Amino acid sequence: MCYTREEENLIILCSFNGLTYKTRYKLLEGLEKAEPDFVKYRDALIKNYGDGVYNKVEAQFNDAEYRKKIISSLGEKGVKCVTYFSKEYPALLKQTDYPPLVLYCKGNLRLLNTRCFSIVGSRRTPNAVIAECKKTAGELAKHFTVVSGMADGGDSAAIEGALPSGNVISVLAYGFDYFYPAVNEQLIKKVEKSGLLVTEFTPDTSPKAYLFPIRNRIIAGLSEGTLVVSAGKKSGALITAEYAVEYSRHLFAFPYGIGAAAGAGCNGLIKNGAFLVDSTEDILGIFGIDYNAKDSVCLTDSEREVYELIGVSGEAFVGDIASKLNKMPYQLLPVLSSLEIKGKIVRLGGNRFSAL
Amino acid sequence: MLSKITSFALCGLEGIPVEVETDINKGMVKYDLVGLPDAAVKESKDRVESAIRNSAFKFPVNKITINLAPADVKKEGSQYDLPLALSILKASDQLKADTGGTVFLGELALDGHIRPVTGIMPILISAKDKGFTRFVVPKGNANEASYLEGTEVMALDTLREVTAYLEGEEVFEPVKHREFAVTQREHKYNCDLGLVKGQRVAKRALEIAVAGGHNILLSGPPGSGKTMLARCLPTIMPDMTFAEALEVTKIHSVSGELNEEGIISLRPFRTPHHTATTVSICGGGGGKIHPGEISKAHYGVLFMDELPEYTRRTLESLRQPLEDKIITITRSGSAVSFPADFMLCASMNPCPCGNYGSATLECRCTPAQIQKYRNKISGPLLDRIDLQVEVDGVKYSDLAGDGEEEPSAAVKARVEKARAIQRERLRGENINVNAGMGEKQIKKYCRLSAECESVLCAAFNTLKLSARARSRIIKVARTIADLAFSSEILPEHVLEAASYRNFDVNR
Repeated sequence: MCYTREEENLIILCSFNGLTYKTRYKLLEGLEKAEPDFVKYRDALIKNYGDGVYNKVEAQFNDAEYRKKIISSLGEKGVKCVTYFSKEYPALLKQTDYPPLVLYCKGNLRLLNTRCFSIVGSRRTPNAVIAECKKTAGELAKHFTVVSGMADGGDSAAIEGALPSGNVISVLAYGFDYFYPAVNEQLIKKVEKSGLLVTEFTPDTSPKAYLFPIRNRIIAGLSEGTLVVSAGKKSGALITAEYAVEYSRHLFAFPYGIGAAAGAGCNGLIKNGAFLVDSTEDILGIFGIDYNAKDSVCLTDSEREVYELIGVSGEAFVGDIASKLNKMPYQLLPVLSSLEIKGKIVRLGGNRFSAL
Repeated sequence: MLSKITSFALCGLEGIPVEVETDINKGMVKYDLVGLPDAAVKESKDRVESAIRNSAFKFPVNKITINLAPADVKKEGSQYDLPLALSILKASDQLKADTGGTVFLGELALDGHIRPVTGIMPILISAKDKGFTRFVVPKGNANEASYLEGTEVMALDTLREVTAYLEGEEVFEPVKHREFAVTQREHKYNCDLGLVKGQRVAKRALEIAVAGGHNILLSGPPGSGKTMLARCLPTIMPDMTFAEALEVTKIHSVSGELNEEGIISLRPFRTPHHTATTVSICGGGGGKIHPGEISKAHYGVLFMDELPEYTRRTLESLRQPLEDKIITITRSGSAVSFPADFMLCASMNPCPCGNYGSATLECRCTPAQIQKYRNKISGPLLDRIDLQVEVDGVKYSDLAGDGEEEPSAAVKARVEKARAIQRERLRGENINVNAGMGEKQIKKYCRLSAECESVLCAAFNTLKLSARARSRIIKVARTIADLAFSSEILPEHVLEAASYRNFDVNR
């Protein structure tokens, strides 16, 4: 992975675990230049962290050797960094307070710039809800990239449901050197392979309880909406929900029966105005997506080309389409089959097709 | 006196040595022929008698008993005339030479000429296997006999010549061995894909069918060129090897359909009419068991025009030979096997009136009629036809156009490459084309990537394909991949294969 000098500055800045978020954002302005100017912040840094820290930070910033080491060790671990200055940085996340300066990623980076929807739930999610959550995640994954954490229960169910489509992002609360919870090690590897793993923590950061609520702001921040599938009175999922509200994103929750402890938090959210969800249609409806629409199938360029040609006349003969595209008719057969499978066209007999 | 002459009987493609024993004794003038002779053999008495007299020999006026041994094999055909005559001459001491170890075959004309007979090639081949090397055959069969190595075949014209040869009075040259010349295999077909205008989809399907040995069904409106396309099939098939040619020749020799050359060097193209009986298609017949059209199409193409018009019984009888590449015809007394490794090419109209799916003409059929028409072809038979392709109606602009069409030779070159890849892959599986793969081999050689699997899954759900279409699509996809020199089956291969299945859709 190649980084610009500005991106590199952010990666180096975030490699010092000692600095607070506030300090980092203060330094941000100075780092926008290729050659960072620390002198401006000298007083503030020394006041907060003391002489030693300031000197160390400045020395290492200018130490080419150190910079190279950090970048190459990330590369060796297969970690791709998306920084606040990168053009791939998700726009929705940028709108939040304290967006992470560096996102350490593993997997399909393209997912960062798709429409995201987060599904979160507590670790104590009833089995019936786990099944429902998987189903909902699978259906939503046709329209959104499903974002969640990696905890056992609601989070991992959402990840598993969306995994077959590959449209899945798991935001971790620790560095890539760790697998937590251990039972989900395989799932983490699967997400890396077909989806995307994201964390704002350097690879050597071990999982700690206080990091999880911090991480939740990324889940909410990435997403256009958040669904809480289960949450007790004090569940961490409610923190994500709070962030979603704070960022003015849509909030959804599964309803629970009276007295169901696993869902007390969800019912509370609904009471306060979250959308009640008992089918995927409820969510898609809010975003104006027709649940039954076939338009959601994405066509490849060649499919679109052929589909539009058929659409113009309503009905077309293979040979005619082929001559318009300057191709041999049999070369179109895979495209036509694919369109037929996707339900966009129908065979009329005699090698003629009609658009639907 | 007693005499013995060796001849051969044919059972299927298998030759069986027959001893013609003649005993001439004093007694009442009588002519007895025993040993299960059929009518043609029984009638031989009159021909033999005239031929002997007209060749300036004497027909013995005594009690003549002739036995064709072994006595339990039915003797059919006219090839025993010559051995019968020689046997009588020998028994009556008019022929003194030793005839042991020589096989005699031939029908006699009344004037003593020897007429050609059928089945010379298979008889010679199995006689050679049984250790016979010297043969006397009719001159008219000389070409057919000339392709066999390691034999001494005398092709003679008259009974007199035979006796002169045996007595050593005259010297005759044995038939010269001929090699299977490459020139004989050269392009001698009347048709060529280059002459068929348009029809790119169907041509592509033919190429795939031949490359993978798949059977193909062409459906299209009348006059769209289905027959013409089918006739081009042999022109894009790989050349026959000598061994293949010999086997094909054997079958055609038995049915008496050999040309002057004496060998079938071009792939057979058989077009039985739809009124054909089941027996004529599969083989059989009262008395001698004849090979049917499917055997005559061995290593070639069996073209069944207007498939739904054939009787149900005939169509269903094709199922087993399509699977086993051999047909065994069983009679109460015997069973005969003929090879039947043919490629089935069938054609049909899309509906009874023929205009269904036409852009310009109106179809007059009700959906029920169309369904009934298509139902004439049973599922199990369709199951064995890997490619089902629609042939477009022809437009005048296609016909008049001067557009360059690819000649058969170019297609054939691609087919041969694809076949070489398959032979390499299927080595040791006892098959050499993709179409021959069973479920086990499909699993082994046609691994599908997750992407292909999901395409196939989507195809099944949306197009409502029948379950048996799956392995067919995979096999065809394998062939398409081979034609593209791709070791992996890619999604576009599966998609293309899925587009050749318009009869599989559950309607």
